[in-house]
Amino acid sequence: MFGIKISLFSSAKTLETKIDSFHDKVIDAAMTFHKSISIYLEEGRSEDFKKNNKQLRQIEHDADQLRRDIENRLYAQNLIPDLRADVLELVENLDKVINRFDEVSYQFYIERPEIPSIYHARILTLVGQVTECAENMSIASRSFFRNFSSVRDFSQKVYFLEHETDLSSGHLKESIFDSDMPLANKLQLSTLLDEIENIADLAEDCVDELLIFTIKRDI
Amino acid sequence: MDILFFIFLSSGLFLGWSLGANDAANIFGTAVGSKMLRFKTAALVSCLFIIIGAVFSGGGASATLNELGRVNAIAGAFMVALAAALTVYWMVSSGLLVSTSQAIVGGIIGWNLYSGYDTDLSILSTIVSSWVLCPLLSGIIAVLTYFAVRKILHLTHIHLLRQDSYLRCGLIIIAAFGGYALGANNIANVMGVFVDSSPFQSIYFHGFYFSNSQMLFLLGAIAICVGIFTYSQKTIKTVGNNLMSMTPTIAWIIVFSQSLVLFLFASQGLKNFLSSYGLPSLPLVPVSSSQAVIGAIIGIGLAKGGRDISWHIVGKIFIGWIATPLISAAICFISLFFLENVFQQKVYM
Repeated sequence: MFGIKISLFSSAKTLETKIDSFHDKVIDAAMTFHKSISIYLEEGRSEDFKKNNKQLRQIEHDADQLRRDIENRLYAQNLIPDLRADVLELVENLDKVINRFDEVSYQFYIERPEIPSIYHARILTLVGQVTECAENMSIASRSFFRNFSSVRDFSQKVYFLEHETDLSSGHLKESIFDSDMPLANKLQLSTLLDEIENIADLAEDCVDELLIFTIKRDI
Repeated sequence: MDILFFIFLSSGLFLGWSLGANDAANIFGTAVGSKMLRFKTAALVSCLFIIIGAVFSGGGASATLNELGRVNAIAGAFMVALAAALTVYWMVSSGLLVSTSQAIVGGIIGWNLYSGYDTDLSILSTIVSSWVLCPLLSGIIAVLTYFAVRKILHLTHIHLLRQDSYLRCGLIIIAAFGGYALGANNIANVMGVFVDSSPFQSIYFHGFYFSNSQMLFLLGAIAICVGIFTYSQKTIKTVGNNLMSMTPTIAWIIVFSQSLVLFLFASQGLKNFLSSYGLPSLPLVPVSSSQAVIGAIIGIGLAKGGRDISWHIVGKIFIGWIATPLISAAICFISLFFLENVFQQKVYM
């Protein structure tokens, strides 16, 4: 029985580390995405941008592996049977956000949009809000595992930032469509802004579910 | 030793089997139902401690039952246990909440009435008040434990996965404690009435002394364990998901409260300790583990702010307090008449 207990504690500890690493990946992805867009706005599709994009792809790949490993361990070792489904869904939702960061950055790489410099600062602000939103989502999710009373605080920040991204993106699109740019460019930029803004929407959806999981987790 | 003794003992063993089949769900039902523990692990740990509890601490509650009525003929004891078993069976099939403790007390009163022995009313009132006290006390303990566990979880920030590991260890410990308490408290229901007519001799075994009643309790405890291994898994599957659809932490609190209450009503050591300091102590009386569980569930429901207490269930408990002993006493009285006059058995001395 002693052996069983030791193995139970050690497998819990291993999975605990993996879940923590997964949350780190969300923050890594957000920071790398922010850096990618700043480089693109400064230098276009430069070597530096390509390198950063590759780094983001690697983070996404590592996160996928971690997610699969977490899922397998949760089921194979029969851990937290009552909350297992919730934890799996949470991890899936976080992974969707990481994937989105990678996809949007790759879209910049493929489409190479021409962005007039007058919009650079405002796009960076929007990207900053989106990455902060994802970071707070990750912190809220981490809190779910350790200190679930603070999940609500971080979730509130996510809601606030998501609303801010809606406003920033809306204003930005208005000024783009008011400009003399060709319509094709306007539509391309508008789609890309939608893609960036959607990341905050995904974070909001994730936090919505997280709050329900938290109510279930509270004894 | 007479083979007839074992035939008469069969009603007590059957009562023990049904106790194991039904009440094991109260100890580890949710832990097994929620896949936190494997059935075999939980059953094995519980059985071991049921035997320890019954053999080493079962004397207190059994002595109280004997004070209520000294069933001094084996045929009489057989009928008391059979009347209790039939009452439990009938009430369970009628969907009423039933306790073997109440059924056996009814049976003893039926025997007292038939044999013309007086029923000690002060003992009877102590037993009846303990039935009311049992779910109340369990509810209070559950509420206090609930708030304490909640506070600890909020303050310590233990990782969810580590909590899960601690909880599994806690569920194993509580399966042991619950088993011990069930054995110590409820063995009186199963074997208490046979103590005075037991043909066993006390023995010394490797320096240990075993009284004749302890050997009787060992047989009863084995019957409970057989009930656990042969039938309780079915009960857990049926009852576990309806009544006990709750988190494993809440389940732990409920089993802890229930076990503590059963222990408080069975521990001679604790009673002696409190009495030595002039403190009030609880009587050593067999109480219902199912009613203790329901008391704890209602207590936690109230603590969580639930306003909709199931008065339907409370009503069923109340009916059980009155109907179970009455039915059991009536069955016992009538059956003793037939056993004595038709089957020519001596049902009292």
